[in-house]
Amino acid sequence: MIRFNIALFIATLATMLYIVGVQYESRRLFVEVEKANLNVRKLEFENAALQVEKRAQATPLRIEKLAKERLNMRSALPSVTQYIQNGSNDDVGAKK
Amino acid sequence: MKTSISYTTSPLLASKTPVWRSKFIVAALVLGFFALAVRAVDIQVVNNDFFKRQGELRFVRTLDLPANRGQILDRNGLILASSVIAPSIWATPEDVEISDANLAKLAKLLDMPIAEVSKKLNDDDKSFVWLKRQVDINRAKQIEALGIKGVYLRNEYKRQYPEGDAVSSLMGFANVEGKGLGGIELAFNEALSGKTGSRKVIKDRLGRVVENVGEQFLPVTGKDLQLSIDSKIQFFAFQKLRDAVQEHKAKSGSVVVLDVVTGEVLALANYPVSASTKIANLNGAQLRNRALTDTFEPGSTMKTFTAALALERGLVKPETVIQTAPGRITIGGATITDAHPHDALTVSQIIQKSSNVGVVKMAMQMQSSEMWTMFDQVGFGKKPQLTFPGMATGRVRPYKSWRPVEQATMSYGYGLSCSLVQLAHAYTVFARDGDLIPMSIVKRDTVAVGQSVISPKTASSISSMLQLASGDGGTAPKAQTMGYSVGGKTGTAHVLEGKAYANKKYRGSYVGMAPIEKPRVVVAVMIDEPSNGKYFGGDVAAPVFSETVQQSLRILGVQPDLSVKPQMVAKAVEESF
Repeated sequence: MIRFNIALFIATLATMLYIVGVQYESRRLFVEVEKANLNVRKLEFENAALQVEKRAQATPLRIEKLAKERLNMRSALPSVTQYIQNGSNDDVGAKK
Repeated sequence: MKTSISYTTSPLLASKTPVWRSKFIVAALVLGFFALAVRAVDIQVVNNDFFKRQGELRFVRTLDLPANRGQILDRNGLILASSVIAPSIWATPEDVEISDANLAKLAKLLDMPIAEVSKKLNDDDKSFVWLKRQVDINRAKQIEALGIKGVYLRNEYKRQYPEGDAVSSLMGFANVEGKGLGGIELAFNEALSGKTGSRKVIKDRLGRVVENVGEQFLPVTGKDLQLSIDSKIQFFAFQKLRDAVQEHKAKSGSVVVLDVVTGEVLALANYPVSASTKIANLNGAQLRNRALTDTFEPGSTMKTFTAALALERGLVKPETVIQTAPGRITIGGATITDAHPHDALTVSQIIQKSSNVGVVKMAMQMQSSEMWTMFDQVGFGKKPQLTFPGMATGRVRPYKSWRPVEQATMSYGYGLSCSLVQLAHAYTVFARDGDLIPMSIVKRDTVAVGQSVISPKTASSISSMLQLASGDGGTAPKAQTMGYSVGGKTGTAHVLEGKAYANKKYRGSYVGMAPIEKPRVVVAVMIDEPSNGKYFGGDVAAPVFSETVQQSLRILGVQPDLSVKPQMVAKAVEESF
């Protein structure tokens, strides 16, 4: 009977230690998940910031300035535009 | 009968202890255990919630989960406003340990004087102090790299407007807490804001979250808002307006572009505006969207409505001749004059030449109630059906209080007021065969239905008159644009100061449509107090109209309806034998 009790006592101790270990491991993994989630959120915001930055680099104001200054381009006017119809190569330009 | 208990066999140690004592001890112990049991039941069962709550208060922390504010997009899905991370720098003065070199570096990164930073860091009365809110993320990283004890970063979100000044008066702004305080940001604040979430967690001694407790309330992200604005048209309208305001040394200017087919606002620009990054320093005049919130006397641009009513009632035809000589008419003791006297003019010519006398003669044949009804039906004196804060209703007094001279002056746009948006909206009647379509600043998914105000025949007649007015011999030949037929009306009005008209302060405006046969856009331009010599609407506002129409129709893919001399030169490949 005593042996059985000792065995039970050892089993209880082992279970206790195992529970503590599992709890520790669970918290460690939870912290990892939290860190990853935080990283996801950070990357999402970085992505949003980059999208805004990309948009800021492509505003009509900047494009027009670069086109005029660097590429010597000018605004398209009807006089230098050839109008074509969808799905046809016919020149339907301005009414004559 | 035993009266005592013997605890030893030695007679020397024998003492006579009464039995009741041991019984008393046993009873006391039983009572003690009973009390403990009662207390255990109290803690575990009866007041369990209370003790649980008290326990949680001591180790559970509630974290706010901020909701992202929705983006504002243009009609093509391009970003007009978005929230990005902008860390704020704070400190606990009593914990701060900083060297002089680091203080100088910190002040430089914060773009603040060293003395100011030092003062904030040495304010021991406070346990928390903001050094600077919403700094650039790269600067924040550099500040963090300094590793100053007692100085911390906190992530906040800043609203960014990549289109800058071109949309600032329309967008308004959101404050550091992410709350809309002006323009579209305020008008749609509820939908854009979303809902902050929260969760309860247990943190370890290092401040790391180690366990969730209870239910999580996830944040609800704000909805994205897609406006009807086309960012390219908006930019070109703003650019042309800015150039005109600067050229004519005007106080301000506004331009509105409406899509005649859908009723959507394609552009709504004002100038001057101030950079949205310095919102805190702006006053009301700099923040408001003048095209929507400011009213003015529309002047001659109202003549078309008087003429339309006269045609609609059958009082005149476009070719009816009205004598306008000698260029003045007296109504109720007041004399109304033409800026340039004419002789007999047809109704079409009256609009083309913008004759006050001719319009007054038409107006005096009508009932004041008819005129009022016309003005009311096209939206004057009523708040526009747009979602925007602080929109003006304008003023059209009840017709019963009109005196004859007031009826006369209202026929050519004095004595009543409207905003530029109202004026542009009213002109859609002529562009849509007499229909008035509801406006929208949000992109429409459904086709809006118009309400008939005048007959298609009258609308067509007025369109022809507007085309004449913008042609040679009209008041605004500068409204013409290459490739597209246009029609419109100028307005030049004295600025009302107090109860009198300022002698040398004017407001030049132009409202028109293009292409005239099948209008696609209505554009209204207003230049306030030009002071560089020119002030007529045909000189200061019509050129802005011309350039805005040109760019708008090109962006919308509308083919020119006028013949244009081609200037395209193609390089021919050399022929081979």
